[in-house]
Amino acid sequence: MSYLEIENLSAFYGKAQALTDISITVQPGEIVAVVGPNGAGKSTLLDSIMGLVKIDGDIRLRGHSLVGRTPSEIVRHGVGYAPERFNLFPYMSVRDNLMVGAFTARDDIQSNLSMVHSLFPRLEEREGQETSTQSGGERQMVSFGRALMTSPELLLVDEPTIGLAPKICHEIAEVLRKLNKEYGLTVVITEQNANFALSLASRIYVLESGRMQTSGTADELRNDKRLLEAYFGGH
Amino acid sequence: MGLRWFHFALWGGLIVGMLLLPQVVSNGTLRTMIFANYLAIFAISWDVLSGRTGYVSFGHPFLIGIGAYTTAILTKRFDVPVEISIPVAVLFTMIAGLLVLLPALRIRGSYFALVTLAFMELLYQLVQVIRPDLTGGTRGMSGIQTLTRGAANGYYLSTTLMLTIAVSMWLLMKTRLGTALSAIGMNEESVRGSGLSTTRLKAFAFLTSAMIAGLGGAFYVHYLGSLAPRALFDINFLFTIIVAALLGGTSTIIGPMIGAFFMTFLLEYLRPVLPGAERYFVYGAIALLLYMYQPKGLVELVRRGFKSLNKGRTA
Repeated sequence: MSYLEIENLSAFYGKAQALTDISITVQPGEIVAVVGPNGAGKSTLLDSIMGLVKIDGDIRLRGHSLVGRTPSEIVRHGVGYAPERFNLFPYMSVRDNLMVGAFTARDDIQSNLSMVHSLFPRLEEREGQETSTQSGGERQMVSFGRALMTSPELLLVDEPTIGLAPKICHEIAEVLRKLNKEYGLTVVITEQNANFALSLASRIYVLESGRMQTSGTADELRNDKRLLEAYFGGH
Repeated sequence: MGLRWFHFALWGGLIVGMLLLPQVVSNGTLRTMIFANYLAIFAISWDVLSGRTGYVSFGHPFLIGIGAYTTAILTKRFDVPVEISIPVAVLFTMIAGLLVLLPALRIRGSYFALVTLAFMELLYQLVQVIRPDLTGGTRGMSGIQTLTRGAANGYYLSTTLMLTIAVSMWLLMKTRLGTALSAIGMNEESVRGSGLSTTRLKAFAFLTSAMIAGLGGAFYVHYLGSLAPRALFDINFLFTIIVAALLGGTSTIIGPMIGAFFMTFLLEYLRPVLPGAERYFVYGAIALLLYMYQPKGLVELVRRGFKSLNKGRTA
């Protein structure tokens, strides 16, 4: 049994279909990347796992179906969601942003907070600062931090490097590796930057226009034409 | 929770100052203060819901009206003592708050605002045609039991009520619950993605807002002693509440209070100069200027003042 199994997933916004027949498996302790251009359905895929959109098909975590569960229940099942950094709460302090993540794991607030602070010392230094005044890299840390406050086993990360400088991307990769290796988190990220995904993930799924184009290990896909197509935005 | 000693010192100072006020000012000023107190209660109620969660209510007179009519009808027509009628009024208002919640589960933004406006209009029409023997119809009701006699007593009662509501809301909003409500206003999806039930949070905000509106409405009608539907379900009354909250500073408690006092006194001082509705132009202009230069409201100006004082001390 895989850790996370997505079977024949289709997702809808009203009548518009955003994902068609997607199947993905994730083994425990893996880093998996979903790569694709804008509008490929990457964020919708993560939203589907979180129970935020209407879906057909099945999503199972440790063998338990997540379909029909509320986002709140899914978070309690150990799924943490770090959305794009534009989806923070801009006029709240770093600390308050983190605290919004702390509702489901009340008993672990102190230990989670110290984990976040040891991963991102800057967030402790600047805990009173409004996130609207922070740099892109710092906001990305807040997004990670808020997800970690929910005590996740599986971390979903939506486009962590979008619009960030290469040096910051490198730091983000380091953080994700650390969360994976030292904290034992299973990680699913979505990316437009195929090189970033290739350097970080063990396996990669390529998504385009809501359909799965190809998948394989990072080594297999390094020279795959279809990945390059997705990377350059398709046809 | 971020509580600091100076928070309590400021509240303490405000409470003592407000309670000593009748010693120094005239009865006329006190009567104005009473209106300011009730407006502050309504503005706090509006802000708990709309200022924080971003669900802009245009229907607060609906909630206030439920509270006011319930207690007025119970005391005047059925001789129910106020000790019972006011809690019942608050309960009824909270049930009404849940009614307003229902559309909010499905719609956002301007549509929600319009639906709430419809609630207000609906109640305005209903009280005039359904059982006018109870509601007093178009004319409303008069001779409703008053709780206090004299300006000073009315002032003490309204001040106590307003400050009790303000301090308890302030404490409540200092908890993570308040943070979560404000977070809904900024990005509801992200709040859901963090594992919070926004439905429950919204229900809480609607109930709390309705409770305060009901309390305010009930006590207000027992201060006025009369109830006029045309004044209550008036778009000017609605906008006075909203502008007070916006002008003072939303997502705070002290902001709507400052806004309410500022607006009440501004309108009062303008009365001799501009007796008619032109006064509303002046406050419209002030609201516009403030919004252009300090969108966080008057409360931000006060905050900056304190900050520069602090800097001056440490430098």
